[in-house]
Amino acid sequence: MSNQKKRNFQIEAFKHRVVVDPKYADKTWKVLEHAIHEIYNHNASGLSFEELYRNAYNMVLHKFGEKLYSGLVSTMTSHLKEISKSIEAAQGESFLEELNRKWNDHNKALQMIRDILMYMDRTYIPSNHKTPVHELGLNLWRDNIIHSSKIQSRLLNTLLELVHRERTGEVIDRGLMRNIIKMLMDLGSAVYQEDFEKHFLEVSAEFYKVESQKFIECCDCGEYLKKAEKRLNEEIERVTHYLDAKSEIKITSVVEKEMIANHMPRLVHMENSGLVNMLLDDKYEDLGRMYNLFRRVPNGLLTIREVMTSHLRETGKQLVTDPERLKDPVEFVQRLLDEKDKYDSIINKAFSNDKTFQNALTNSFEYFINLNARSPEFISLFVDDKLRKGLKGVSEEDVEIILDKVMMLFRYLQEKDVFEKYYKQHLAKRLLSGKTVSDDAERSLIVKLKTECGYQFTSKLEGMFTDMKTSQDTMQGFYASHPELGEGPTLVVQVLTTGSWPTQPSSTCNLPSEMSALCEKFRSYYLGTHTGRRLSWQTNMGNADMKATFGKGQKHELNVSTYQMCVLMLFNNAERLNYKEIEQATEIPAPELKRCLQSMACVKGKNVLRKEPMSKDIGEEDAFFVNDKFSSKFYKVKIGTVVAQKESEPEKQETRQRVEEDRKPQIEAALVRIMKSRRVLDHNNLISEVTKQLQQRFLPNPTEIKKRIESLIERDFLERDNVDRKLYRYLA
Amino acid sequence: MPRASKRKAAPPSSSVAAPPPDQSRKRTAKATSKPRLKESDQIDNLFDTYANRSLGEIDPEGIESLCSDMKVGYTDVRILMLAWKMKAQRQGYFTKDEWQAGLKALKANTILKLVKALSELKKEAESPENFEDFYLFAFKYCLTEEKQKGVDIESSCELLKIVLGSQFHSQVDSLVEYLKVQKDYKVINKDQWMGFLRFCKEISFPDMANYDENQAWPLILDNFVDWKKEKSSSR
Repeated sequence: MSNQKKRNFQIEAFKHRVVVDPKYADKTWKVLEHAIHEIYNHNASGLSFEELYRNAYNMVLHKFGEKLYSGLVSTMTSHLKEISKSIEAAQGESFLEELNRKWNDHNKALQMIRDILMYMDRTYIPSNHKTPVHELGLNLWRDNIIHSSKIQSRLLNTLLELVHRERTGEVIDRGLMRNIIKMLMDLGSAVYQEDFEKHFLEVSAEFYKVESQKFIECCDCGEYLKKAEKRLNEEIERVTHYLDAKSEIKITSVVEKEMIANHMPRLVHMENSGLVNMLLDDKYEDLGRMYNLFRRVPNGLLTIREVMTSHLRETGKQLVTDPERLKDPVEFVQRLLDEKDKYDSIINKAFSNDKTFQNALTNSFEYFINLNARSPEFISLFVDDKLRKGLKGVSEEDVEIILDKVMMLFRYLQEKDVFEKYYKQHLAKRLLSGKTVSDDAERSLIVKLKTECGYQFTSKLEGMFTDMKTSQDTMQGFYASHPELGEGPTLVVQVLTTGSWPTQPSSTCNLPSEMSALCEKFRSYYLGTHTGRRLSWQTNMGNADMKATFGKGQKHELNVSTYQMCVLMLFNNAERLNYKEIEQATEIPAPELKRCLQSMACVKGKNVLRKEPMSKDIGEEDAFFVNDKFSSKFYKVKIGTVVAQKESEPEKQETRQRVEEDRKPQIEAALVRIMKSRRVLDHNNLISEVTKQLQQRFLPNPTEIKKRIESLIERDFLERDNVDRKLYRYLA
Repeated sequence: MPRASKRKAAPPSSSVAAPPPDQSRKRTAKATSKPRLKESDQIDNLFDTYANRSLGEIDPEGIESLCSDMKVGYTDVRILMLAWKMKAQRQGYFTKDEWQAGLKALKANTILKLVKALSELKKEAESPENFEDFYLFAFKYCLTEEKQKGVDIESSCELLKIVLGSQFHSQVDSLVEYLKVQKDYKVINKDQWMGFLRFCKEISFPDMANYDENQAWPLILDNFVDWKKEKSSSR
């Protein structure tokens, strides 16, 4: 059939049965309340999650969220109050266990409750700014259990008691501790800190205060440090096992303060076992422990450093001013090197190569090495000794090591120019007497000096080496061109360039005819190839090897100085000579001649001459004979006196004066250099610039600098500014 | 004024006795009946009165008679100031140009006026603007030899007394005492000379509390201060 009625399809909403039941909310709540009870009573298995969830959902949906929430609060609160009672009732040991158990129960319950009330958690609670269920559960626990008057202090005291027992050596239940502490942490860091940590730290401080006092009375420094270290480690371990990691730093600072910081001075200065004793006895382990502990506290390392520095300075000062030590320069320097080695070792092994300690070491050395004005001289003598014989048979590497150590001492010197002067003198003697153990070692040291001080320092020294080499070539050329001289005495000439070698005024000396003829031949040979030069014989620096036959036929080879040779050759033509005759024949100046005769007539084992009378001093009327009875177990006898020695007082004064004189032009050169580039500079800055420029060589005296400035003003190199008298102006 | 002791013709250096004036020199009295000469001519005439004919300059003797005419001591500081005003180059001598310049500046064409002008001149030289210039002049004036850089101790002391004596009496006394006993320096150079003036002006005396030897004072003054302090403490 075609007539169909048009009907609007309407889909009608499924209508819920409208709940008009006023008791609906109450009934639903009762269900939920009952569920909560069951949960707390460990009867949750009989409950239907779905049903409970739906009930909670409905309550919220029908705007009974408030009732639900407040019901939850009061129900939970009442349960917690009961729980609280049962915890309070626990005796002794079981208190914590009971607390722990109940806490676990509560958490489980809370979990379930939260699941059931999830809809409320997500809708009603946020929009009404209420505390979410889980957090609410924790807060209620906190307020009703932890902060309950009967539990709060008991809990704290129990925990602290356990810690104390553990500290005194007992074993405690760490797992339980961990759980309880975790509970506090879960309740919020405010709870953890206020209800536990704060008190824990206070009590610990007290504990360690007492303990440290006890220890320090009865232990020596090393033992105390061991104990302190042990306690520190214990506390760190404690934290890892059952405390909040954030507490570590707090408890360690408590221990550091009580055990270390408060007792630092007393520990360091403890008699017979303090820092100084540890240093003296090379107690690496104890020192290392002290370093590690002290670096944790403010000024800890500073304290160690200060004590070490003052001890080192004191020791050093005694070393360099002790008259006994000053008698042997080589020993003196060796002792300094030993001291340096000792401290290098300590800093390396115990102070983990800490740079601030290395600097302290350097400063101390710089301080005391310069207290003795003879340090530069002694260091040069030490090097001289090593290069003459000390390095014989030593491997190349070891040679480098020793030279490097010497360079370290050299760097500490303030008056490097004094060292240079002595080094030059000693080097000259070594080169001329051919007494150097290793050419390579000599060169190596020169290179090191050049690296340290620049080319100027070593150019003259290198010149000396060059002269030696050139002289060798010259001698070869000489003998090659005069083959007829092969038969006579052998002449070896070293031609020294005046500027490079230490100057010595040469004096008169009549060479024996055999030698003077030979010398003249050489002179003409040399001047033939080097026109425009002047040669002057340095008879005070030469030596000779002579073959001698004595009365009983004993033959010896004598190594003597040139002066001694001249004297001995006279006895080829005369049996007996008195002092005056010798003086006339040789024309050697009196003081040298006397010394020369003494060395040949008055020294046992070297007395090739006999003197009448037999006194030690040389008198004008003394007579000399060849000592026919001379004997020595050696064929070769050395009588020459060319070894470098510690200077006598007058010699020292002279050298010092020459050094002072040399400094004046250096200061002036520096002044001119600086003023030329700055044009205008004030007084104080000028002084400090000059000092800085010269400090590689020596420390200039400000008064001396002032003198040089005034001299330059007088010579119109500089002028004072008209307006500001502190300014100097360069005059082109 | 003090003479450098090297001068050959000079009598003993510390004080000069005036030799009798040369008879050949006549003092020309000005006759009032003469026609009024121009000022510059009067100055020239005055010059001729005292000048040494052969030299063409006023020499030491001339200066002495000038001084006695003015009734001013030979070593009076005002003579030195006169030399300063003239910018005289050579100690003991005034050239014609110097004389003319000086007297013109002083507006003095007679001895009387010159004498009057001297007291004004003293004030002028001692004024703060001019004193340093005068002080330096006094030193340079004593450098009689060519290339001479310093004045000997003896003369320096005398000069100090003349030039600074009135203003800085106690400093000068102390300084002079020191200079005579010290052995470091035999002459005083320009730098040291100027240093003395600075010292007197800037340093409180006798305590010398504000003296700092780390400043750019000449070494001689550092030594002087040390010496004085030691002297006072050892009393």
